[in-house]
Amino acid sequence: MILTVGAVLFACAVVLYVLQPLLTGTEAPLGRGWDEITEAEARTAAALKALRDVEYDYHTGKLDDRDYESLRGELTAEAVAALRDEEADAGDRPALQTATPDTESIEREILRVREQFRAGTACGECGHRNPDGSRFCAACGRRVRAA
Amino acid sequence: MIQLGELALWVALPIALWGTVIAFVGGRNRRGDMVLSAERAVYAVFLLTVLTSIAISLAFVEDRFDFWYVANYSNRELPLFYKISGLWAGQRGSLVFWVLWLSFFSSLAVWQNRDRNREFMPYVTGTLLTVMSFFLIVLLFADVYPFEKLPFTPQDGRGLNPQLQNYWMTIHPPTLYLGFTAFTVPFAFAVSALLSGRLDASWIQVTRRWTLVSWFFLGNGILFGMRWAYEELGWGGYWFWDPVENASLLPWLTATAFLHSIQIQEKRGMLKVWNMSLVFLTFIMTIFATFLTRSGLIESVHTFAQELRIAYIFLTFMGLLIAAGVVLILWRKDDLKSDNQIQSFLSRESAFLFNNLILLGAAFTVIWGTLFPLITEGLTGEKANVGPPFFNRVNIPIGLILLALTGIGPVIAWRRASKRNLVRNFLKPVAMGVGLVAVLVTIGTRDPWALATFGIGAFVMTVIVVEFWKGTRARARIEGEGLARAFVHLIARNRRRWGGYIVHAAIVVIFAAFAASSFDTEVRDSIFPGDQLTVQSAFGHSYTLTYNGLSTSRGQGDWVIQWIALFDVERDGERLGTMTAERRFYTDSETPSSEVGIRSTWYEDLYVILAEVADMSGVLGGQAGEAERAVIEVQVNPLVSWIWYGGLILTIGSLIALWPTEGRARSAGTAVGEAAEPATGPAAVTT
Repeated sequence: MILTVGAVLFACAVVLYVLQPLLTGTEAPLGRGWDEITEAEARTAAALKALRDVEYDYHTGKLDDRDYESLRGELTAEAVAALRDEEADAGDRPALQTATPDTESIEREILRVREQFRAGTACGECGHRNPDGSRFCAACGRRVRAA
Repeated sequence: MIQLGELALWVALPIALWGTVIAFVGGRNRRGDMVLSAERAVYAVFLLTVLTSIAISLAFVEDRFDFWYVANYSNRELPLFYKISGLWAGQRGSLVFWVLWLSFFSSLAVWQNRDRNREFMPYVTGTLLTVMSFFLIVLLFADVYPFEKLPFTPQDGRGLNPQLQNYWMTIHPPTLYLGFTAFTVPFAFAVSALLSGRLDASWIQVTRRWTLVSWFFLGNGILFGMRWAYEELGWGGYWFWDPVENASLLPWLTATAFLHSIQIQEKRGMLKVWNMSLVFLTFIMTIFATFLTRSGLIESVHTFAQELRIAYIFLTFMGLLIAAGVVLILWRKDDLKSDNQIQSFLSRESAFLFNNLILLGAAFTVIWGTLFPLITEGLTGEKANVGPPFFNRVNIPIGLILLALTGIGPVIAWRRASKRNLVRNFLKPVAMGVGLVAVLVTIGTRDPWALATFGIGAFVMTVIVVEFWKGTRARARIEGEGLARAFVHLIARNRRRWGGYIVHAAIVVIFAAFAASSFDTEVRDSIFPGDQLTVQSAFGHSYTLTYNGLSTSRGQGDWVIQWIALFDVERDGERLGTMTAERRFYTDSETPSSEVGIRSTWYEDLYVILAEVADMSGVLGGQAGEAERAVIEVQVNPLVSWIWYGGLILTIGSLIALWPTEGRARSAGTAVGEAAEPATGPAAVTT
């Protein structure tokens, strides 16, 4: 008898646990979290990774000079386009002025990215560009320059 | 407690069904409370299934023979070890076991994504609960109710099939089930991506990791099964192309294809429909594997289940899954268009594509060979088994092409590779392969398949070693690090790549072991105590076994009678020690079984089988001499240990690939952390 009552109580408790959100209006989040990357950010990351893969393939002798140069050009353009979308998405800084990327603006953008890598503010892990003087990446928390 | 477990099973179904409905409705109407309720249903089903599982094991431990399931799979004398594992010894319990792991992984997935990938979660939860509901319905309504009572309580149970009384029984099935059930999570994410229309890179990220988890368990499960088969005679060595072995191989093959082709989608935005189809196919294969094992449709050493009703239920479910896959993919076909095209035939992409076609070809031949008996029976009324020769003839060449691709892929650059570089990169590895073949031919090896395997194996190994070396050297040069440091950083920075290469090395080692089986040697003879048997090994050793007669013993309260043959073993005239080989007779189920003697070294195994005893009852009665005459088979199997070493390397490689990147604050940050793992460090970009 006690066993039966206990079992029934237990079953009721489980059912109540499942139904409780509907009874009390407790909600699970359904939207994209503020800290989740956007599609554009993911594309930037993928483009940067592809660029690194080309570097790797070149340095391990799988690409010859000509293919390396042309691939790097293509990928750089992809990376820049993705970066631009990301900026447009973020809206926290103005998008580059030219709508269609000409060689010059790509070169400028790449130069900027490279400068940031050199300066250590662009994160080597996720490609996020941090403000000058950053020691840790604001996006992924990795150290971006030797302290 | 047992009643509580039974009640839990009955409560689990309505909760799972409720969760299924409320998850889809909540997802569609953007109702957070409904989705939360559905997610809680996942946790609740897990808790309830844990209780059910405990109850079943407890029924075994308490010898509750009034339950049909316990009476048929246990007896009083069964060691505790096997009583607890009674949960997955038969069809009914193993279906509970399926739901147990499925609900465990589902809970893990829901918990892991409690505040990320939220857009996916309603449909993910709904899909997971749909699969759980299916299995719960089967358990409760398909004549496989695990708590079915007998009209009377027998004095004792019928005992566990002797072939299952091996310690691998507690390891192999659970590992395989982990692999089968874990794949439901990638499947659920794929369904959710299709339903929600969020077909960008994020579902791929989650799916890839979970696929790797499932793939890892499947691979190890298969290897454990091989080990089990190798130790239990009558299962035909370590692999016999048994329908259930095949069934476990199928999802592994398609998951392997997926793990490769997914990289093309990540990097190039291509093959989206293909990848989606592979996820569906792999999941259907896991259900198919469960179905084959648990329906009794096809004769198999594993078939301990004979009910047919369950077969129709499973077939219907698989049919619905296929239909759902086709409809969903067609519905979203515009969103699944490729962003790019393959730029060159000579590229990593096309190598991966080729690898996919070959893997699917292998899967297809395995399905065909497995279902062939069923098809012929349907058409002609007679079962025709195709047997190992068919599988070997078809799958050895396929396996060799795959093996070669594991070496070719890494050397080809993404997007487009130049011929000149290819030739340069292939020169050394090809030379190593050809060199090894030349050496093997010189020392007398003639088997063409074995030569091809060793040649290609050497080629692949050289590619991998050279890759590690070049990567380390490049990193050391660019980062100014020492070689050892550069090597560690190299692996740490791109765990997927290098973990993958280590897995490739494992595959080479395992293939070498398979190829070496063509050099097995054996003698078989009927001998008296004092007689000797000598066998030459492929490595030139000479093993001599001196038969010292039989001893007998009764175990498990007379349920098992053992005849144990004792041997002195010498290698090249030097004494190694003693070995035993056994025959057993399980009196409860009246089944004989054989326990082989194995003496293993890293390069060859001495494998002794007691095939026949002249007068078993005479020996039992204490007679010696003629009664002890026995047919003994002695084999020397080269490189068998390499399979198990390969498994170990496979595990190391998989763990490296799976190891999470630390500090992933941003969640689909899974995407960031991994997508942006540089191959040779950030400096590579700036060079």
